[in-house]
Amino acid sequence: MTAETACALTARDYKSDLKPVWCPGCGDFSILMAITMAMAEVGRPPEDVAVISGIGCSSRVPAYTSCYGFHGVHGRALPLATGLKLSRPDLLVIATGGDGDGYSIGGNHFMHACRRNVDLTYIVMDNQVYGMTKGQPSPTTPPEWDSALVPGGTGLRPFHPLVIALAAGANFVARTFSGDPKGTAQTIVEAINHPGFSLIEILSPCVTFRPEEREWAKQVHPASVDPTDDRARAARRVLTDDGFNTGILYRGKRAPYQPAFNPDDAANVDFEAEFLP
Amino acid sequence: MKAPQSPSDRETLLAHAYAIENEAAERYQDLADQMYGCNNTEVGDLFSKLAEIEAKHAAELSQEHGAANTPMAAADYAWGNLESPEAIPFGEMHYLMGPHQALTLALAAENRALAFYMDVVNQAPTDDLRALAEEFVVEEAEHVALVQEWLQRYPEPDQDWDVDDDPPVQP
Repeated sequence: MTAETACALTARDYKSDLKPVWCPGCGDFSILMAITMAMAEVGRPPEDVAVISGIGCSSRVPAYTSCYGFHGVHGRALPLATGLKLSRPDLLVIATGGDGDGYSIGGNHFMHACRRNVDLTYIVMDNQVYGMTKGQPSPTTPPEWDSALVPGGTGLRPFHPLVIALAAGANFVARTFSGDPKGTAQTIVEAINHPGFSLIEILSPCVTFRPEEREWAKQVHPASVDPTDDRARAARRVLTDDGFNTGILYRGKRAPYQPAFNPDDAANVDFEAEFLP
Repeated sequence: MKAPQSPSDRETLLAHAYAIENEAAERYQDLADQMYGCNNTEVGDLFSKLAEIEAKHAAELSQEHGAANTPMAAADYAWGNLESPEAIPFGEMHYLMGPHQALTLALAAENRALAFYMDVVNQAPTDDLRALAEEFVVEEAEHVALVQEWLQRYPEPDQDWDVDDDPPVQP
């Protein structure tokens, strides 16, 4: 053990005192742990990190970390995170949320966040259902999923977030599984360290409204191919896989969007003054 | 993150041992809180008790072997997965689980810790390290026996243990 590692930040340094209220067995517990582990590995102190979210079970994450946080409006995590990163490029900005928040209510923002390629990491905990509001189908719900709320299923083609992200310009695209916290933490570290907009789609079982998703543990498998920097190849791979391939799919080379920002500009000073007592 | 390597010196092994007990205590308390949140007080109390026991082990470890509470970087711990072996995975939980199921998970966790220390014994480069790891093997074997004995007190759950006529709502 070296002096350097002895002084290292630990996952505990990134946890708040609040206890998560997720259902026992929820994948989000492990993802929260992976996020805090990844932050410890990256080594930025909590006061240098901001976690931004929208609404939903997984959007509770900011409250469970000791970092700066903003629990925003439904579907609006990415505009908030974008604005924060552009005005405070020194911060490490992470957006978190679920499939309903990110791909339905926030679907438009998702596409444009990919297109803008601001240096953010977007962690989507995809359970293919609206859990917080009692189990309505989300954009990623399979069409045949039968439930009391949608007898016979929606019959609708699911949204394919990874392909949309690739087409829209995301610079890093990966899929992981909540039951693999180590792999998830490693991927989060890589996403944070990769410049530009990074999307990590994490399969996270909703054990209350989709108990069958516990079986995902038996279905996920590491991708058999290495990441590519070829967007078209990545899109073909993800369109033809079984939805349970995990790993980093795409590492792009686009430069992040980060316009020069001078906090001392008169316009910025005036704007900030509106928020000061 | 680096590939995990079995502890090869006393200080590193102590750091691992301390982390195993401490993280197990923290996890058990997390699981207890989850169960209390679902009004499953019987299992909540059980996990709380296990948390107390693990915290006591961590304190004893620190007292007997010196300052081991020096956290290392996550990547420096030698577990195959990100979690230390004695931490029950979150995904194993169910709000209707009973004491038998809880103790079955605890037994698996104790066995993982035992396997970890046995692995250190087998790979230890020095006699001193092997002796310390053997000490931990003996302690963990005692824990395994204790949980096994405890498990005998609770019957296996009925086949329909997870049927809930009044399913939960999200808090």
